[in-house]
Amino acid sequence: MHADTQGPSDGEIVRAVLAGDRDRYALLVERYRDRYARYASRMLGSTDAADDAVQDAFVRAYDQLAQCQDPAKFVGWFFLILRNRCFAEQRKRRPHLSLEAAARVPAGQRSDDGAESAERRRALQQALMELTAEQREVFVLKHVEGLSYTEIAERLNTSVPSLKMRMHRAYDRLREQLRDHA
Amino acid sequence: MIRSCAAVLCVVALAVTALDAQQTIAGRLSGRVSPEIAMLVQELGSAAAHRGLPVDPLIQKAIEGSAKAIPSDRVGTAVRLVVDQLDTAAAALRNAGLATPLDTVEIAAGAFAITAGLRGRDITEIARTGRPTAEVIVGLRVAGTLAAIGVPPSETVTLVSASLRGRRGAGDLLTLPGQVQTEMARGATPAQAAAGLARAAAAQARHGPPPDRGPPPHPPAPPHP
Amino acid sequence: MTEREFHPQVKQLLDGELTLADLPAELRDEGEEALRLLAAVDREPVSVPSVTWRVMARLERKRQRRLAWLLAPALAAAAALLVWLGRPASPVASAPGSMVTVRFVLVAPGAHQVSVAGTFNGWDPAATPLVRSGSGDMWVATLVLPSGQHQYAFVVDRARWIPDPTAPAVDDGFGRRNSVLTL
Repeated sequence: MHADTQGPSDGEIVRAVLAGDRDRYALLVERYRDRYARYASRMLGSTDAADDAVQDAFVRAYDQLAQCQDPAKFVGWFFLILRNRCFAEQRKRRPHLSLEAAARVPAGQRSDDGAESAERRRALQQALMELTAEQREVFVLKHVEGLSYTEIAERLNTSVPSLKMRMHRAYDRLREQLRDHA
Repeated sequence: MIRSCAAVLCVVALAVTALDAQQTIAGRLSGRVSPEIAMLVQELGSAAAHRGLPVDPLIQKAIEGSAKAIPSDRVGTAVRLVVDQLDTAAAALRNAGLATPLDTVEIAAGAFAITAGLRGRDITEIARTGRPTAEVIVGLRVAGTLAAIGVPPSETVTLVSASLRGRRGAGDLLTLPGQVQTEMARGATPAQAAAGLARAAAAQARHGPPPDRGPPPHPPAPPHP
Repeated sequence: MTEREFHPQVKQLLDGELTLADLPAELRDEGEEALRLLAAVDREPVSVPSVTWRVMARLERKRQRRLAWLLAPALAAAAALLVWLGRPASPVASAPGSMVTVRFVLVAPGAHQVSVAGTFNGWDPAATPLVRSGSGDMWVATLVLPSGQHQYAFVVDRARWIPDPTAPAVDDGFGRRNSVLTL
């Protein structure tokens, strides 16, 4: 996930906001809101929940902006705030609520979509909600967001082998879920 | 043989453009306007696209009228007026000797200036400055904004043309309405404010910036991450 | 490894380290099952356009709660459009495709709802509500808009369309006026 090269850099905007130009923060929100909403919606199983989580994360990031050690790396720092927010949401939820939420996840409306493809996507998202948050996260970052294991490890400050172990457990659980509910 | 092929290709391209326009119009108006307005905009829009005019201003006006709960016949009248303004702007730009096909964004900018009170010949004058399309577009938008503030057409054209000829970038052009309003707040009429700024722009074009109040040096471009 | 677990080589396929052709024949069916699983991953982009103004509105409300805010009586009779231009460091501040932060402010005593509708949101009076700020008569919204030409009006209590009194305005073709924003 790289900073947008159109217009001012992330670092410039952060420094301007810290210097008092508050409204420029909207440029950062605009730049990253959709990208991170996808991560949040797959983690939380609901676009509505993702909307709330992304909003909360941006508000918190603004409040803590002075603590962003490297303004040029705002996006990575912001991701951790959003991640914490998503994990906190998971801990609050009762298990059956995640299934209800998964049932409402829009399965991607595409003009060339068949009902069968939509159903498979919905089933997979429902199965993802049965994983632990850590397993779901590594799956989403690799297979939805397209990051490599190395990039994920850097982002989460962990090792590639431990990520692979998490992911391989996730694959097995997904297979089990999809077979059980086929 | 080659001419026939070229002619066929042109007809096909225009047909595709017209079909594209119809599908775009229908899609954007669906559920937003009454069926009779949708039909009218489709008809006018397809014909406009065929003439190389932008279709978006018609769609916007139809949606605006419906949002404001305006009766259909008056929405129809307003949409027809938009088409007239676009045709006038296009003719004015052709009179300035611009290459065809004209840039549709430039036509739309000219039509906005006409909405604000400028005339076709004012558009022609601004386009004749010979500056690149992107700058003329901003110039036309700024001219429309100045007219909307109350600057008379001739002072508007003089100020914008002088600024374009002085090679002031788009960013500087966009500050002109604010500068005029600042002078108005100090007691100048819109015409006086614009005339004063035009004299300064013309002087700068001839002699360069004054020694004690030159434009600030452009900051270096931001490093790319 | 149980029957329900993927073979390690199939997991390598899922990780992108192997292709289906790399798998031995006895694992091909399992490999295809794994690829069907990946094909069901939903990578559709998610769009949350209201997040920008909601975040800025929440920040504005927090700021107002922290400040003591006194408005001069004269302001009660006027509206102001304040444009914060988010100019990039490069000279061409209005390069096509650049985005500009714009703050809309309306002082509307007695209003219950205020929104802004214009060319940037399909003239939808429900799309961009303003939030109350300060004394309660001031309504604010911050948007990020593309550079270019925009027309808009405020909509008060879902019924009254009013132009911004201090912004340039043009005839809307319906006997009213639209405010103009040139970025």
